[in-house]
Amino acid sequence: MNSKAQKIKAASIDPAYYEAVTRAIRLEAAKLLQEQTVVAVVGYLPGRRRGTASPALVTTPEQADRLIFSPACVNNLSVYLTKSKKGVLKKGRIGIVAKGCDMRALAGLMGESQIKREDLFIIGIACAGVYGSGLDRTDPLDEHNIAGKCRECSVHLPEGADVSTGTLVELSDLAPVEATEMARLEAMSTAERWAFWKEHFSRCIRCMACRQICPFCYCEQCLCDKNRPQAVEISPRPAGNMAWHIVRAMHLAGRCGGCAECERVCPMDIPLNLLNRRMAKELKDLYDYESTRLPQEKGPLTQYRDDDDQSFIK
Amino acid sequence: MHHEKVKHDFEPKIIAFVCTWCTYAGADLAGTSRMQYPDNVRVLKFPCTGRIDPVFILRAFQKGADGVLVSGCHPGDCHYMAGNFHARRRFAAFRALLGFIGVDLERLQFSWVSAAEGGKWVEVVTELTEKVRAMGPMQEFKALENEEQWSGALGTPELKEAFDSIG
Repeated sequence: MNSKAQKIKAASIDPAYYEAVTRAIRLEAAKLLQEQTVVAVVGYLPGRRRGTASPALVTTPEQADRLIFSPACVNNLSVYLTKSKKGVLKKGRIGIVAKGCDMRALAGLMGESQIKREDLFIIGIACAGVYGSGLDRTDPLDEHNIAGKCRECSVHLPEGADVSTGTLVELSDLAPVEATEMARLEAMSTAERWAFWKEHFSRCIRCMACRQICPFCYCEQCLCDKNRPQAVEISPRPAGNMAWHIVRAMHLAGRCGGCAECERVCPMDIPLNLLNRRMAKELKDLYDYESTRLPQEKGPLTQYRDDDDQSFIK
Repeated sequence: MHHEKVKHDFEPKIIAFVCTWCTYAGADLAGTSRMQYPDNVRVLKFPCTGRIDPVFILRAFQKGADGVLVSGCHPGDCHYMAGNFHARRRFAAFRALLGFIGVDLERLQFSWVSAAEGGKWVEVVTELTEKVRAMGPMQEFKALENEEQWSGALGTPELKEAFDSIG
């Protein structure tokens, strides 16, 4: 099904593309609910304000007819299937609308035995990108208002989905903002990098939005909420903030699907995806592991080889 | 037999996280063989290097360690078959993360010391202590501990303007 999609390059994305995808999603969701293939579909409904969308669980064909897809559909819906949001999967097979980056999260959760493939019906979207957080949403999606993660997206197509909607249109000539920032950081000295992160982390208010939005932060009890013994200071002070962000990045290393939701929801605009990207790059270099749209049996830190690099060990 | 204790201006605190089966026994061997090594090192015993969470290292630095040593069995010698293999991957990743955050990796040492290598234990500990002594105290995490949020100036013109505009 993916072979039919061909790449078309454009300067801005035509609204007709979103209408076509919306129609296809509605049709598919209504059919699934009608035939009782699934008990519910997780998708996007229009938000109250123009240019917004909110995640929703629809259970009837009539409701399914209100589902939409637009560049405001930024959420990674896979978070609604995890243990942290209890009970959705207990009711039966669930349909879910997924972009390429969401597919990676779903695959990661399958690899960690959190969800089963047969419990899902994935409605994949050939996604051109979504709006960046805090950017202008009145214009059609173009170079100026596309999210940072979408500029370097390598998973436009929903490989491994049950059904794929939309014909891929890609924006042409996007500047890789994140990669540039990453290169700038890596060129810095150790002390400069420390100053950079210290400055960013000291603004953190510990709202834990990055944890709540993350599909992989599904622990029933977070290590960072524990008091006895306390691993990470809970109050928003620089010491605890630094520890929290290091622990968060470490716990996501080798698992993160790169949906950058943590960075999007951060009210203090801390560039969290830089940490995720850095860890992903490191694990690619060291163990040749990459997050994929298809489930993998084991992550890089839950397996080993006898001949792993140990040049740093005396 | 007793060495003359040399006075230094700075005595670093080194925390050693060691596995009970190899390195702890190795350190024990060094002791029973009456080998001398710096008393700057505080040894913490764990069942296995696989049990040593990166959070422990972080916590050690936050609470005033100037250097951290993590040591366990050589690959293939793990009492629990694969604990040190997993630890090796985890610490490789953790090291990379700390490096990216901007921590000086010279203060964090990993080593394999078996139960028979009392001499190697002495060598590793002495080398790390001298290296950290030369580098001076670890300031970064300690400074964070003493800082409060919003430590920046509160009376800036921007804030005043924002406050006034609330009306």
